[in-house]
Amino acid sequence: MRPFDTLTLMQFIWAFLAILGFSIRSNLKGIRILFTALSGGLCWAFYLIILYYSKSMLFSVFVAIILVCIYSEIVAPRLKTPVSVFVTCAIIPLVPGRGLFNSMQLYIAGDNLHASKAILQTLLIAGTISIAIAIVSSVTNLINKLMNRF
Amino acid sequence: MPKVSSQQVLELALEIGRIILQSGGTTNRVELMMKKVCNCFGYPETESYVTPTGIFISIKDEKGNIFTSIKRIENRRIDLGKITRISTMVNCMEVKALSEQELQEQLVNFNSELKKIDNENPWSPWIRDLCGGVTSGFFCLLFGGSWAEFAVAFLIGAVVTFGLKYLEKLAFNNFLLNAIAAALIVMLAKTLDIFIPYIRLDNIIIGGIMLLVPGLSITNAIRDTMSGDLVAGTARAVEALFITVGIVAGSASMLKIWSMWGF
Repeated sequence: MRPFDTLTLMQFIWAFLAILGFSIRSNLKGIRILFTALSGGLCWAFYLIILYYSKSMLFSVFVAIILVCIYSEIVAPRLKTPVSVFVTCAIIPLVPGRGLFNSMQLYIAGDNLHASKAILQTLLIAGTISIAIAIVSSVTNLINKLMNRF
Repeated sequence: MPKVSSQQVLELALEIGRIILQSGGTTNRVELMMKKVCNCFGYPETESYVTPTGIFISIKDEKGNIFTSIKRIENRRIDLGKITRISTMVNCMEVKALSEQELQEQLVNFNSELKKIDNENPWSPWIRDLCGGVTSGFFCLLFGGSWAEFAVAFLIGAVVTFGLKYLEKLAFNNFLLNAIAAALIVMLAKTLDIFIPYIRLDNIIIGGIMLLVPGLSITNAIRDTMSGDLVAGTARAVEALFITVGIVAGSASMLKIWSMWGF
């Protein structure tokens, strides 16, 4: 799969529509559901593109979440929405539901070696997501404080 | 110079805090919003301490009397719309020098608006059920499902979203709620697998599980910890962990039961 072909575009659209459904399900309304959906779609698209170039899953999760959190910090105040609402919608595609399911299946099957490998992978992805959110939110706090001071 | 009684302001602030916290807002936001409301009604010296399961707030009037109130928060559920609307409402408030009557009018306005936000839903229930289906279906496609699998995942997502509403009314804890929902997803997928040929269950079940993953808890845990609320951050992280364990336990036991049955 090359980074900028129709398949990536299709994946972007699926992620967009999935997060659109998620934001309506959690009662958001108005023009902002398009932007939350866009954040989800962008998150997945960034992930795929960076995965192609870097060949490292954790690194691409990290960079994709950082980019999408910066997007949320920029867009959310302009739509009068709390930033955490945007971030919640944005990270959903990368939350490791698949890793969770795979490790659970291996665990039931009694394949302890592969199961522990999959669980470790799942935990690493969750940890990476947390670190990326933490970095962006603390840097934004710092920038806001500096902006208020001067 | 406060002209509204401290009791009324406390009630308003607690109500705002309760709605934001129950809909899944960060504790930092709750503290900020409550402080802002009290400030607008002429009580600038407000201290609050918020955890994910309770609100403590005390305000001080100009004579130095301190009034404190505690609110216990139960049955939390995701409702990003309410957080957004209340934040917009509170951010529109301004500190102004108003007469007593105007302040009273403003208080009544805020109370009625809060009641409106708390009770009405912007989307009708069946649209939200269908959107649960849309989410689950498109996640199934995203992870490499076919269109037949999309249809099955759509159906399962809609049924599970519909069922979750009634399960929430039974006031289970989070662990049991997610375990039952995950078991329901696996059971429906396995049942439909008998009747519909050529579908792979992995993608369908993952699509359904994506409805339950604790994305909000993870976000809140990190943002709370980063803003200095260590207690709230730890509590949310443990919540996320237990939701995950619940999902795994529910779906794993249901898968095991079906495999023992021989399908």
